[in-house]
Amino acid sequence: MSEVATPKNVLIVGVGGQGVIMVSKVLAQLCQNNGYEVKQSEVHGMAKRGGGVFSHVRFGPKVWSPTIPEGEADVLVALEWAEGLRWINYLKPGSGTFIADCQRIVPPFACRNRGRGAEATYAPQTPEEIIEQVHAGFAIDATTMATNLGNLRAANTVLLGALSTALDFPEEDWLESISMFVPPASIEINREAFFEGRAWAMESDKRVDETAAGLHKAHTDIHNVDIDTVVEITEEWCKGCDICVKMCPERCLRMNDQLIAELALPDLCTGCRMCEWLCPDFAIKITNTPVTPPALEPAE
Amino acid sequence: MKDHLNENEFNINEYIRLDQMPHFLCPGCGHGIALRALLWAVHQLGIDKDKLAIVSGIGCSGRLSAYVDANTYHTTHGRPLAYATGLALARPDLNVIVISGDGDCLAIGGNHLIHACRRNLNMTCMMLNNEIYGMTGGQVSPTTSGDRYTTTTPAGNTEPVFDACALATAAGASFVGREVTMQIIALRDMFKKALVHNGFSFVEVISDCTEIYGRKNDLGASPEMMMSQKSTMRPFAYRNTVDVPFRPNAMKTGVLTEVDRPEYGNAYREMTAGLRGEKGGT
Repeated sequence: MSEVATPKNVLIVGVGGQGVIMVSKVLAQLCQNNGYEVKQSEVHGMAKRGGGVFSHVRFGPKVWSPTIPEGEADVLVALEWAEGLRWINYLKPGSGTFIADCQRIVPPFACRNRGRGAEATYAPQTPEEIIEQVHAGFAIDATTMATNLGNLRAANTVLLGALSTALDFPEEDWLESISMFVPPASIEINREAFFEGRAWAMESDKRVDETAAGLHKAHTDIHNVDIDTVVEITEEWCKGCDICVKMCPERCLRMNDQLIAELALPDLCTGCRMCEWLCPDFAIKITNTPVTPPALEPAE
Repeated sequence: MKDHLNENEFNINEYIRLDQMPHFLCPGCGHGIALRALLWAVHQLGIDKDKLAIVSGIGCSGRLSAYVDANTYHTTHGRPLAYATGLALARPDLNVIVISGDGDCLAIGGNHLIHACRRNLNMTCMMLNNEIYGMTGGQVSPTTSGDRYTTTTPAGNTEPVFDACALATAAGASFVGREVTMQIIALRDMFKKALVHNGFSFVEVISDCTEIYGRKNDLGASPEMMMSQKSTMRPFAYRNTVDVPFRPNAMKTGVLTEVDRPEYGNAYREMTAGLRGEKGGT
C-alpha cells in the first residue's frame, strides 16, 4: 500500500464465536508489521450468548481516534449477514467495500412472534439487492467453503482472503500474520481457506455467491411451518388448578365460570405443549399436524 | 416435517388406568407432573408394561401406583423399598420403580432407604418431596423448611432440614439426582438415565403441596409455588458459573452423583450359583 495520509478504516462485525476478534487481530498485526500505526477497539460483551460483536481497526501513518465514525469505513467485513446490514451505514458511500458471509444466524429476538406461520423478523434484504447498492461488495458463502475444506471454523479466514483483495498487502504477510493467531494444527487449512476466499473475490468488484439466494429461501421455509393444533381438554379430569392458564406462554387459556380450563384464544396457540406437560391431572392433550399445502383436488 | 413437530408427543392415556381417573390428588399437586415425566421416560425407553413393576408406600405419593397400568404394588408405610428389594431380587427381569414421599422415604422408611442405597440393588426410587405429610393432615416432615407452619408446628418449624440427595450419596446410591416438576423435560431425561443405570438410582422430585402446605404458609397457588421452586434451584451443571455467588443457599438440581459400583443382585446370584456348583450368574 502506498502512503496513506488519513487512516484506513476497517470495521469487522459478526456474532459471538465466529472469530471477529481473530480477524481483527490478524489485520492489526499485519498492519503493524508493515510499519503502520494501528488502533483497534472492540465490543464483545454478549459474545457468549450469540450476541453481536464488532471490532474497529484503523491504521495509517498516524491514528488518533480508535473508533470509526459513521459513513467512514473503507471496508466492512461481516461474518454474518444481518450483522453486516446492521452496520452498513458505517460504510463510506461511494468508495466503501462490503464483504459479507451470506449465511444467516437468526438472532433470538428475531423470533419474537411465535404464532403459527409467523415470519422471523430477520432482515428481508437479499444479497443481490445489497451488493447492487454498494460501491464494491461480495456476498460470499464462506461457511460452506470452509465446511467443504473440512473445518467450519475457517470461515473467517475465507473472509480474510476476500478482504485481502481490498487492501494491498503482500500475500506472504497475510499468511504470516494468520499463522500467528490460529492453532498450529490448523495453519494448513486456514492457508487453503485464505486462498479460496482471495481467488473468489479477485474476479470482479461485485460478486454474489450463486447459492446465496437459495440459502435465504430455505431458511424462510423452516421458520414458516404451518401447523394445525388441536387442544383437547377433558373437562371431567380438570380440577381448575390454574397451572395451564398461568404457564401458557401465549396466554391463550382461561378458566371458565365452572373453574374448568378452556381454550379462549385458539388463534394464539402455537402448539408448544407446555399446558399438556404441566397439567397434573392429564386433562390436556395437544395434537400438532402440519398443514399440507393445498393439493390439486380440494382437501376435505 | 413430522418429526420435529411431534418428537415430544406422548399419550399418557396408554399408561394409566382410565377407570381410576380423575385421580384423587388435590388441584395443583405436582405429583401428577412427576408421574407424567416418569411414564414418559418409560415410554421413550420402550419398556414393556408387563416388565414394569411400580411399588409405592403410603401417602399422597403412595396412591400414584394405583393409577399406572402396569404391575403395581401398594405397600405399607415407609416400606416400599423393602418390598421392592425382595421383588428385584426374585425377578431381575423386571424394571422396579419405587414411588415414595418425603415422609415415607426419609422419616418412617429412612432406615430402609439407607440400606437400599448401601446394597445398590438395581431399581429406581422416585422420592416426591413436597415438604409435608399431605394425606394424613399436614404434619411436619423431615424436609419441611425452617419457619414453616404445619399442623404439628403451629408456631413455625425449627427443625433442620434433611438433604435427601446428600443422604443417598453418603449411603452409597450409585445414581442420585434432583429436579423440580416445572422442568419436566429435564426430569424426564433424568428418569431415563436413572432407569438405564445399573444400580440403585435415587431421584428426588421437588413437588408442591398447594392445599395443605402452600396455603397455610402463604406461598401462593401452585403456579406460583412451581415458579418459585424453579427460581430458587441451582442447576448442578452451572456449579462453576458466575451464578453461584448470587444463590449461595440454593439447592442443587441435576444429576448429582453417578458412579459405577457393583450391583447387589448380580453379586448375590453369582454367589448362589457358585454354591450350587454352577458357573457364573445370570
